[in-house]
Amino acid sequence: MSYILILFLVILAIFLRFVIGVELRSILTIYLLGLIVYLFSFTVAEMPPFGRPDNPAFNEVPARYLEAGPSETGAINIISSVITDYRAFDTLGEATVLFVAIAAAVATLKSHRY
Amino acid sequence: MLEDQIVRITSRLVAPFIQVYGIYVILHGHLSPGGGFSGGAIFGASLVLIALSFNLEAGVKQISHQTASVLESGGALGFTVTGLIAIALGGNYLANRAAGFPLGEAGQFFSSGAIMVITVFVGIKVASTITTLFYNIIEKETPHGNSKQAD
Repeated sequence: MSYILILFLVILAIFLRFVIGVELRSILTIYLLGLIVYLFSFTVAEMPPFGRPDNPAFNEVPARYLEAGPSETGAINIISSVITDYRAFDTLGEATVLFVAIAAAVATLKSHRY
Repeated sequence: MLEDQIVRITSRLVAPFIQVYGIYVILHGHLSPGGGFSGGAIFGASLVLIALSFNLEAGVKQISHQTASVLESGGALGFTVTGLIAIALGGNYLANRAAGFPLGEAGQFFSSGAIMVITVFVGIKVASTITTLFYNIIEKETPHGNSKQAD
């Protein structure tokens, strides 16, 4: 099966190079990109299906957040309690990213003086 | 920038409501969907709308560059200081209940301790970030280096 595929790709490359006249560099680029797409889709196909109850994402952590969230943080919005209490340090990093981004943008685009 | 009467009057009418809605989303971040990031984006969008439909000067009149940069740094600083207060009260960095912030009754407006404070600071920061970024992008640079608004 794979021999046939490789044979097909080689024949296609020879056809593209000598009959149509595509540069060898472009053919190699397209083949490399195709290989990357193949590997990525292979990885995606190995991922667990969406929303199944025995997925690895449904472990004890979200159960704890959902059950003990309102009593531990006092917020009935569970997302808010996760991003600003349980994982507040992550949100601080997010705010730091925003801060650095705007500082870089102002330093680059600055057209006024304070 | 747009010389259109309909756009100007509509945005002048709509902008206060957008701002009130943004403040509502920020302040109810612990009760309803939303929070600092989305509410700040809504509030910043209203200022961008004013600057787009009138001109940059009208937008800068709402919130000046100086104020925007102070609010921006203040939002980030307030976030970190809230975490440091938690350390001073005897918890970990950015701890909430463990540091002894008053949680209140879940579901009430004044509840959830540090979450509300952090949400407000994040909202201030995001709103001023969007405004500052937009002002800086649409400003034109003159050959002498002074600022001049884009028409």
